[in-house]
Amino acid sequence: MESDLQTHVTFYLTGKRHGGQLGPIDGMALRPALLAGYRDLTRLRYDYPVVLCAQDGDGASVRPLSGLVDAALGQAGGGQDGERVRRHVLHLEEDIRKLLAEGAEGTLSALWDKAAGAQAGQGLGRVRAAIKADGELADCDRRLPARLVGHAWNAVQQRKSRRFAEDITRLIHKLNDILVADFVRSDAGKSVDVLKSGIGTSHQDSFDFDAMSRILRDSVHEVALPASRRRRVTQLLSVLESQRFCARTDLPAGDEADEPYAFAFGSCDAALRAYRERLPKAIELLKAISMAELEIRSEYHEAKHDPIFEGFGEIGFDPRDLSRFPDYLVCANASRMRGVENDRLAEIFSGGLPMKVLVQTDDLLEESPLGKGHLAIGLRAKQLASMAIGLSRVFVLQCPSSHLVQWSGHLTQGLLYSGPALFSVFSGAPEKAGTLPAYLNAAAALEARVFPAYVYDPSAGSDWAARFHLGENPQAERDWPMREFAYEDSNHQRMAESLEFTLVDFIVCDPRFADHFARVPPAHWNGSLVPVAEALAHEPVGLPTQVPCLTMVDESNALQKVIVDENLIREARTCRDMWYSLRELGGIRNSHAERLLAREKQAWERVRKQESAAPAVVAAPVAEARPEPPVESEPERSPDEAYIETARCSTCNECTTLNPKMFKYDANMQAYIADIDAGTYAQLVEAAENCQVSVIHPGKPRNPKEPGLEELQKRAEAFL
Amino acid sequence: MNMAATECLLQLYEERLQLEDYQSGVPRWCSGCGDNAILAAVQRLCRDEGLRPEQTVFVSGIGCSSRFPHYMKTYGFHGIHGRALPIAEGVKMARPDLTVFVNTGDGDCCSIGAAHWIHALRYNMNITLFLHDNQIYGLTKKQVSPTSPIGTRSNTTPRGAYLEALNPLTVTLGVQNVSFVAQAVDWIPELLYDIVKAAYHHKGLSFVRIVQRCPEWLPKLMDPWMHDPQKVQLVHHERALRISPAIAKVYKNHVEHDPLNMDRAREIASSTDVVPVGILYQNPCVPCYEDIRRSGGLRSADYVRRGLEGEFDKFTVWPEGAGEQQAA
Repeated sequence: MESDLQTHVTFYLTGKRHGGQLGPIDGMALRPALLAGYRDLTRLRYDYPVVLCAQDGDGASVRPLSGLVDAALGQAGGGQDGERVRRHVLHLEEDIRKLLAEGAEGTLSALWDKAAGAQAGQGLGRVRAAIKADGELADCDRRLPARLVGHAWNAVQQRKSRRFAEDITRLIHKLNDILVADFVRSDAGKSVDVLKSGIGTSHQDSFDFDAMSRILRDSVHEVALPASRRRRVTQLLSVLESQRFCARTDLPAGDEADEPYAFAFGSCDAALRAYRERLPKAIELLKAISMAELEIRSEYHEAKHDPIFEGFGEIGFDPRDLSRFPDYLVCANASRMRGVENDRLAEIFSGGLPMKVLVQTDDLLEESPLGKGHLAIGLRAKQLASMAIGLSRVFVLQCPSSHLVQWSGHLTQGLLYSGPALFSVFSGAPEKAGTLPAYLNAAAALEARVFPAYVYDPSAGSDWAARFHLGENPQAERDWPMREFAYEDSNHQRMAESLEFTLVDFIVCDPRFADHFARVPPAHWNGSLVPVAEALAHEPVGLPTQVPCLTMVDESNALQKVIVDENLIREARTCRDMWYSLRELGGIRNSHAERLLAREKQAWERVRKQESAAPAVVAAPVAEARPEPPVESEPERSPDEAYIETARCSTCNECTTLNPKMFKYDANMQAYIADIDAGTYAQLVEAAENCQVSVIHPGKPRNPKEPGLEELQKRAEAFL
Repeated sequence: MNMAATECLLQLYEERLQLEDYQSGVPRWCSGCGDNAILAAVQRLCRDEGLRPEQTVFVSGIGCSSRFPHYMKTYGFHGIHGRALPIAEGVKMARPDLTVFVNTGDGDCCSIGAAHWIHALRYNMNITLFLHDNQIYGLTKKQVSPTSPIGTRSNTTPRGAYLEALNPLTVTLGVQNVSFVAQAVDWIPELLYDIVKAAYHHKGLSFVRIVQRCPEWLPKLMDPWMHDPQKVQLVHHERALRISPAIAKVYKNHVEHDPLNMDRAREIASSTDVVPVGILYQNPCVPCYEDIRRSGGLRSADYVRRGLEGEFDKFTVWPEGAGEQQAA
């Protein structure tokens, strides 16, 4: 074996750089070649920063700055100076991104003014005016997931809470009306003073209130509200008025009895404790709402309803009953999801509690609890998400923060879902800082399949196909996404190749893993260096003859090759296998389906072969058996029998007026012959003649002695 | 089960009403009158949909048809000639929670009430309107109505009516915001019921013209259509009216029609040789006026009192000298 390969293989197997040939990569600021174009994000237009728009009706509550600017330019960027304004505005947008990257904070309008400074031209003002939305600007950083999810939750919650408060206020008013009506009817309500106060001050002398009161009191005796009902109404009122689940809209400011509950929490434990504490109150309120609805419709019957409400909620209740109540929000960090917190989270999910939990992962490459030499890549996120999906009634959204804006629709879906929801988000901003900006890091995690994006929505259907989808993952059909990469070689010729972005490309960006890599100087590049993706695809048998390597660029954008040790390759295989199984759940290259397809295909081919062997017999086309629609069978009637085609009767009262004993209406107010002996044949014939829709058939006479039969039978012939 | 458990439990105890619970008095219509058929169909609807009598209102104008509210044991308003719709709109505006029906005749709706008819269609409030069209003024003993066929001899036109009859369907289909137009005939009770039911379920103004016989004043008018099933054209569609096999056996003239197709609807509505029966037009997306104008404010006792007092104050006659006192 030549010496180059020996050195490379030794590194591959042991992670040790022997001899002077291989160099370390620390301090070289290398990055995967595919990320070469993304050095300065402030100069690129992408989904961030976003504007967390203050409530704007039904519109999206999170809008990318670039999208807002594009829309405004489309609206107001025309005219003679259109191109100049466009450039100007795009520069300004870049300045805003720079300001944010430097740590500035504020609303879009504030930062816009700050960036525009003195240069506010006319065109600029026009475009500014066309941007209707305003709100805090947020860049993709460690705070983003909590800010964005919190913002979306707030928007949903406010709407929900307003509706709930309106409902409660309405009930309070209606219940009060019952008491007021009772007072007006009572003797006290008819007293002189009350009557006086109803008229106002100016014309009190014009009326004799004593006489009025006397007349009212003596003339009408009304029944007062039963004591039990009054008690019930008062009790309901006190429950509704003292509730703290939402802020009443009709109370003047400062008149608030109690602060409404807060529903956003920093840990599952705290949220669960609050939930437990409030549960009796929630059940009491729920009961009061149901009772009040009955009460205001005057439909509360003590005999029937008392037993229902007596033990209300004692042995559990339908969680859908609570769907009108506000949901809880928990923003937690994956690094703290251990021990108690983990248990609490499991309790929340398995109990189906109305809580939306954001678990933010900052570091996917944290050290394994097992210690040095062991990797636990994305361990917590995987654990959480698979636990949540396993419980089958939890809405799960996993997505890196770079794609959260694109997926904000799913986010809203999760917030509107009536049960618990888990939002697992990778922020891309580990505490032990990597070299990449958070946005790029998060996007790279998605690209490298280490943090795939998916949604599991239990309300979307009953099977995996309906509930689960992998959506935005790039090139989901492939093991690793493949991108074109173009560069200039030493002879200034344009070269292009396709590079696949693997887990190893993601890891190499993290300086903590520098030991697992070694730089190969260009003089030693040879055919035994193969791309990582290729090495992953073919597991070597026996002694390795090829060494996986990454194509990278340094700070001056010069191409570098870096070889990887076996540890990371193993890790990448695991990551790929996880991706496979996820993909199967998402219906992409599902092994069961593929096996079934292969079997069917085989069977089909066998049949085809047999057919081609014996082509003589042409099968007669089999008429497709179509089930006849069920025809309502009508009983066979003999012409001698008297009957009415009841379904066709148009309720015109002719026959029933003629003889109400013989002809009667059924439950649908359509006529039938109730008692044929209750009248004469003559009446039957007359009814048939009078019938507007001719559905009465008199049949043959039953009494041969009836006078004038011959003539009657002749008249009846038309209706047999 | 798509209701929460508590709601199910409460509905368990709701009383189921029978047809008799909606009947009130013996109708004073002539025997053989088509109004009876409409009454039976509507009472069936109320029973089958479990409409609560205290939550249901029938509003009418003047005419034979407009006696309808008297025979329903619900709330009702026997209004003035031609003004059933404005009253019904007021009821719906103030109490959107009520189910509102309007019963009106060809004279009441298409003559004196024509302006209200047009604008009610435009408002598209969630009301179900039944136009009892017997093509004659019956209550006042036979005068021509706008829908009487040309040549109809009556007390006002002894030499026969001079004008072509107005077609309520095509007029309705020409008004902006129209959202539901159907036609039924009183002599096919099953279809009458189905159409009444579809109209009730449509959100918006459901206009149902019911071709109706008047055995007293025009006894022979509908005979050609009644006695020849071929002349009844059933308009069906999977999203509109579906025809049962029993009906399909008797009435063999069918046409499939998409209820969103306005042009075709107008074409069908214009046919004179056959009488189309079914849903001609239905568009669930037209907004309702009461939704557009909903203030969302709660009508508390105080709010109502303030509003009423404001209105009364406009008409107050102050005693001698009180005006100055008030102004001061």
